[in-house]
Amino acid sequence: MKEKRVYNIWFVVPALIIFGIFFLLPILISFVFSLMNWTFTGMSWAGLRNFKTFFSDYSMTIGIKNTLIYAAATCIFKVVLGFLLAVFLTSGIRTKNFLRSVAFFPNIVSTIAVGITFTALMHPSKGLINKALAVIGITGPDWLGNTHLALGSVIFTDIWKGVGVATIIYIAGITSIDRSYYEAASIDGATSFQELMKITLPLCRPSMNSVIILALTSGMRCFDLIWTMTGGGPGFVTDVLASIVYKKYAAGYYGLSTAGNVIMFILIAVIAIPLQNWLQSREEV
Amino acid sequence: MKKQLAVLLTAAMVTSMGLSAVSVSAEDATASDGEAAESVAEPEWEYEEATITLMIDTDMTDAGLLAVCDLAKEKLGITVEVEYRVGGTDGDNLVKTRLASGDMTDICAYNSGALLSALNPSEYFADLSDDEWIASRLDATYASTVTVNDALYGVPACASQAGAVMYNKDIYEEYGLEVPTTWDEFLENCQVLQDAGETAVIGSFADSWTTQVVFLGDNANLMALDPDFATNLTNGEDTYAGNEYALASFQKCVDLNPYYNSDYLATSYDDACDMIYNGDGAHWICLTQALSNIYELYGDNSSIGVFAIPATEGDTYLTTWMPTSLYLNKNSENYDAALRFMEFYISDEALDCYTETILPDGPYCINGYELPDNAYPAVAEDMQAYFDSGMTGLAMEFLTDIKGSNCMQITQEAGSGQTTAEEAAAKYDSDCLLQAQQLGYEWAQ
Repeated sequence: MKEKRVYNIWFVVPALIIFGIFFLLPILISFVFSLMNWTFTGMSWAGLRNFKTFFSDYSMTIGIKNTLIYAAATCIFKVVLGFLLAVFLTSGIRTKNFLRSVAFFPNIVSTIAVGITFTALMHPSKGLINKALAVIGITGPDWLGNTHLALGSVIFTDIWKGVGVATIIYIAGITSIDRSYYEAASIDGATSFQELMKITLPLCRPSMNSVIILALTSGMRCFDLIWTMTGGGPGFVTDVLASIVYKKYAAGYYGLSTAGNVIMFILIAVIAIPLQNWLQSREEV
Repeated sequence: MKKQLAVLLTAAMVTSMGLSAVSVSAEDATASDGEAAESVAEPEWEYEEATITLMIDTDMTDAGLLAVCDLAKEKLGITVEVEYRVGGTDGDNLVKTRLASGDMTDICAYNSGALLSALNPSEYFADLSDDEWIASRLDATYASTVTVNDALYGVPACASQAGAVMYNKDIYEEYGLEVPTTWDEFLENCQVLQDAGETAVIGSFADSWTTQVVFLGDNANLMALDPDFATNLTNGEDTYAGNEYALASFQKCVDLNPYYNSDYLATSYDDACDMIYNGDGAHWICLTQALSNIYELYGDNSSIGVFAIPATEGDTYLTTWMPTSLYLNKNSENYDAALRFMEFYISDEALDCYTETILPDGPYCINGYELPDNAYPAVAEDMQAYFDSGMTGLAMEFLTDIKGSNCMQITQEAGSGQTTAEEAAAKYDSDCLLQAQQLGYEWAQ
């Protein structure tokens, strides 16, 4: 077939310029800055020292570990809970429009507000959660102060806030499935569980893949919720890569924090790109 | 239910502020009348209408400053628009970003000492050393902490303060306790109180900066035992982990862990102010600026006494903090008006007005301006005794440029029982090394 160009190349130029100036260029510049000893007072060449310093930082091990735990946990729960919620909300229940709004509501509230609210709810002696537990005779723990629980509490809040987006994506996927598959299945005598497993689940795989990638990448660069709820603490137990980078930035170690950002960029890319390729290859089968 | 609603409303409010600085006109925010006692100010400031902006952090008691702003409007015609910013890490970040982007207010309130030198002041702030009036008014020790490379940058925004133990005198009386002179005696007191079912020490770990004070406030004791430590630290010849007296400061953070209130990790600075005043806890180790916060809340703080963080060995010294300072934006469009305001701010008239509104948390750093007769008992009696006997010393951040950036997280970690003093000291040392590298010190390269 002969080359059939419907659109002129110039159509892409405005978008490319914007993308280049605001996305590609800053990324390239940040690679350069990560090699500089850049502080509030000036800038000098540092080579790879920033990376060495960042990796030898005592909070680095826990930061990487927490980032991965956080991303994996929020991703798994959002994928599973979002799917179940979406199935429920696409079934023939009466108030589904209202319930869909309810499921999505937490997502339109600012993360900072969610963080502050949950910090108050999780207060060990004055918080609503522990007061409610006290009524039934349970002494609640210090949700954000206990070093074993703190990260879990933030993960819980993130899921509460983020599961709505996953649900909406799933709902879009599920409602676009042709009804005739279900009719055929029910004529063949399939139970609703079989319909769920054999029709709904496989056919909304593209939505599931979007949810996985979105949840994983947002989990890996999560910062705002952690910062408002625990500040990376107590001590360093809930530090993630992004909060370590922020603390270095706030201290005025700009080169060092840029190096941390580059490390985050690479880590997310190394995990997300192969995962996306793998998920897409499965989609096409 | 009401409380929950309040929490939600607060959350919504904070969101709408977006954690950034909020403008409040000085005249609206205070009802206090700036009627000052008669006193002849050195220069004759002209009356000329002008509007300047000033940024302070929310941890500082603003009543005195706002009263002086009102007085300045009356006497100098200068309207001061006060912007508030958050404190802690976020506040540092905000100040640095606003400076770097050329968007700083005409006057900026910020720490003196190491944190000031980290701002690269010659780039952003005006050198005031040619102003004879200002130079003559400033106490020499204070002046040294706002002087970087022979240039003088600041005037005190408030009185100096101490990092010390605040204690509830009623509880001490009830249990017949004496003010401790050594760390072991202090721990014994804590044990007595704990055995009796009292909260021995209030921990306000939700505001992590407060956890540093146990460590930082021990500095005068450390410097008394090893006077060369600050110099050696700056030159990379000594470390916290490698010096037994320095290590003791971290040990104190660890020692206190068993004595904190049960919800210490969720207790904020404001909660702690309530607790120490109401006797819900016997001791609270914090900056004495809290005395003013308590006074503002309750109109009284006479039941609160202060003693220095007791030394592990040797005599106990009180660690003092130089005041937060006002710095003049070098590139300000209202440079002259802002300078006029700053000169006025340290006049006797302005100080009298300040003192009428809010009493000082420690001595002023102005030559010849004494503590008022009605100063808080904790300041006039307890703290003054250390000054009278010369048993005071500055906090480390006024003695060296090196301050580890994760200090508050390290002390929070040690104070919550996650690390030993040795581990905490080693972490702090690596932070100090990083700071020295960033400052370009030879030994750290």
